[in-house]
Amino acid sequence: MDDKSKDIIDDKPPFLNSWNKIYLFVFGELVILILLFYLFTKAFS
Amino acid sequence: MCGFTGFIVFYGASKTRKSKNVDDYLRTGKTSSWWVVALSIMATQASAITFLSTPGQAYVDGMRFVQFYLGLPIAMIILSITAVPIYSKLNVYTAYEYLEKRFDLKNRILGSVLFLTQRGLAAGFTIYAPALILSVILGWELNITIILIGAMVIVYTTIGGTNAVNKTHILQMIIITVGMFASFFMIYILLPKDISVIDAAYIAGKMGKLNAIDFSFNLNDRYTFWSGIIGGTFLMLSYFGTDQSQVARYLAAKNITQSRMALIVNGLVKIPMQFIILFIGAMVFVFFQFVTPPLFFNPVETEKVKSGSYANDYTQLENEFESLQNKKREKLREMLDESSRSSLSSSESEIKDEHSWEVISNEKSLTNTTDKISHPINRVRNDDDSYSNISSVQSSLSSIRNLELDEIKIKEQKIKSEAKKIIKKNNPNADTNDTNYIFITYIVNYLPVGLIGLLLAAILAASMSSTSAELNSLASTSLIDIYKRLINKNASDQHYLKFSKYATVCWGIYAIGFALLASELGSLIEAVNILGSLVYGTILGIFLAAFYTKNINGNSVFISAIIAEAVVLYCFLFTSIPFLWYNVIGCLVVIILSFLLQQLLTIKFKITN
Repeated sequence: MDDKSKDIIDDKPPFLNSWNKIYLFVFGELVILILLFYLFTKAFS
Repeated sequence: MCGFTGFIVFYGASKTRKSKNVDDYLRTGKTSSWWVVALSIMATQASAITFLSTPGQAYVDGMRFVQFYLGLPIAMIILSITAVPIYSKLNVYTAYEYLEKRFDLKNRILGSVLFLTQRGLAAGFTIYAPALILSVILGWELNITIILIGAMVIVYTTIGGTNAVNKTHILQMIIITVGMFASFFMIYILLPKDISVIDAAYIAGKMGKLNAIDFSFNLNDRYTFWSGIIGGTFLMLSYFGTDQSQVARYLAAKNITQSRMALIVNGLVKIPMQFIILFIGAMVFVFFQFVTPPLFFNPVETEKVKSGSYANDYTQLENEFESLQNKKREKLREMLDESSRSSLSSSESEIKDEHSWEVISNEKSLTNTTDKISHPINRVRNDDDSYSNISSVQSSLSSIRNLELDEIKIKEQKIKSEAKKIIKKNNPNADTNDTNYIFITYIVNYLPVGLIGLLLAAILAASMSSTSAELNSLASTSLIDIYKRLINKNASDQHYLKFSKYATVCWGIYAIGFALLASELGSLIEAVNILGSLVYGTILGIFLAAFYTKNINGNSVFISAIIAEAVVLYCFLFTSIPFLWYNVIGCLVVIILSFLLQQLLTIKFKITN
C-alpha cells in the first residue's frame, strides 16, 4: 500500500477523534432508538 | 409551487453548467462537502411516493413500517469500513468498475446490466407514481404531468450532471423537511380544541397505530424487528453500497472522510426522520377520527362509482359509514374522559397516599393521642375500599368501551371492503388500494392554500430528487461500464462528456416512456416496486464476496450469481416469503455457493495437475 492510500484509510473524523468511536456512537443511537420505540409502543398500546 | 419548481430547474441548470470534463460531470471533480453529500443521499432515497405513501402506511397499518429502516445505521457502519475506502482507493466512477478489478469483466457487466435493468424501470416508476396521484387529486392530465415532471428533471440533470443533482438536492431536502413539519403543525391546529397531542397519541395508540416495535419472529409478517434488522441491513447494504444512484453521491465527496461522514449522518438521521413522518400519518388518522374521512380516498374512482349504476349502493354505504363515525366519535370522547378521570383519580390517590403517610408519621410522634389519629386512618381505609371499587368499575367500563370500539372497527372494515367490491364491480380496472391518496387528501382538502402549494412543491421536489439521481447514475454506468469499456475505449474526454449528456437524455426519455406505458401495464407496476429486492441480494452477494474473500475467483462468483438470481425468482414466483428476505437469500446463496464452487474447482485443479 502506498503512502497516499495509507493516508486515505487513516483519515481522522471531524469529531470524536476515531472512526471506531463514531461507529459506536451510531450503534448506540440505534440501540437507544429501539429501546425508545419499545417504550413508546408499550406506553400507548 | 410553480415558482419553486421553476426555480429548481433554473438553479440546477445555471449554477452547474460549467462541467469541463467527465470527472466534473459525473463526480463534481470530487469537490462536494459531507453535508451536501449527506443531503443528496437522503434526497435520493426520499422519492415522492415515499413522501406520499409513508403517512398513508401509518394511517392504515400503524407505525411498524419504521422497523424497515432499523438495518440502515448498521449498513452505514459496514459501508464506511469496507466499501468507501475501497472505492476511494481505486478512484472509480462506478461501483461496477471495482468488480472487474477484483474479479473479471463478466462480473462487472453482470452487475451493471442488473443495475441498468432494475434502475431504468424504477426511474419510470418514480415519475409515474407521483404523477398519477397529482393528476388524480388536482385533475391534471396524467400524460402531461408525467412529461412535465420528466422533462424538468432531464433539463437540469443533463446540463449540470452530478453537481446539479447534488445542489438541487439541498433545496429539495429543505422544502421536504419544511413541508413535513408544516403539515405536522397543521394537524395540531386542526384537531378539536379539547384534544391535545397527548390525547391524540392516546387515541392513536388505543387504535393500534403506534406499534413501532414488534419483536415477534414471523416469516410471513413483512415488518417486524427481525425482518428490519436482518433483511433491512442486507437491503440497505445493497442499496447504498452497490446501487450506483447512491454510490455516485458519496463518490462525489472531496475525500474519504467526507464520504464516510455523509453515510454516518444518514445513519443517524434517517430513522428519526421516518419516525416523524410515520407519526404524522398516525396523527392524520386521529384527525380523521374527528372529521369523517371519505369512504374511499381515490376521488376519481369515487366519482366514477357515484355516477354509475352502483351509485345508490355506494351512497347507502357512505351513510352507514357516517353514522358509524359519529358513534365512534362518542366512544372516543368517553374514552378520553375516562382517561382524564383515571389520571385525576390517580393524582387523588397520590394525594391520599401522602396524607396517609403524614398520618402514620403523626401516629408515631403522637402516641398519646391515638383517638384523634384513628379517625383519619379509618377514613383513609374506607376511602381505600371506595377507590378500589371505583377503579374496578372504571376498568370494566374501559374494557367494555374497548370492545365497542373494536366492534366499530370491524364494522368499518366491513363497510370499506363492501365499498371496494362495488368500486371493482363498477370499474374492473380500478386499483382498490387507496393508501397513497390518504395524505394528499388531507393536504388538499384541509390545509390552507399557501401551504398546499408548499407541500405540492415538496412532493414534486421529492419526485425530482430521486429521478435526477437515477438518470445521472444510469448515464454514468452506461458510459463507464458499457460504452467506454466495451464499445469505444479511446475517445476524447469531450466525446465522453457529450455521450454522458446524450445518455442522460435517452434514459430520461426511456423513463418517461415507461411511465406513460405504466398505466396500461397495471399489475407490472407492483412488480417494478419489488424489482429492487429481486436483484439487490445477488448484487450484494457479488460485492461482499469481492470485499471479504481473497480466494474466490470470477468464475465461481459469476455462476453462483446466476443460480442465486434463479433461487430469488423462484421464491418470488412460488413462495409467500416477504420481499425483504429475498435480499438475504440472494446474498447468502452467492457467498456460500461461490465458496463451495471455489473449493471444488481448487480440488479439480489439484487432481488434474
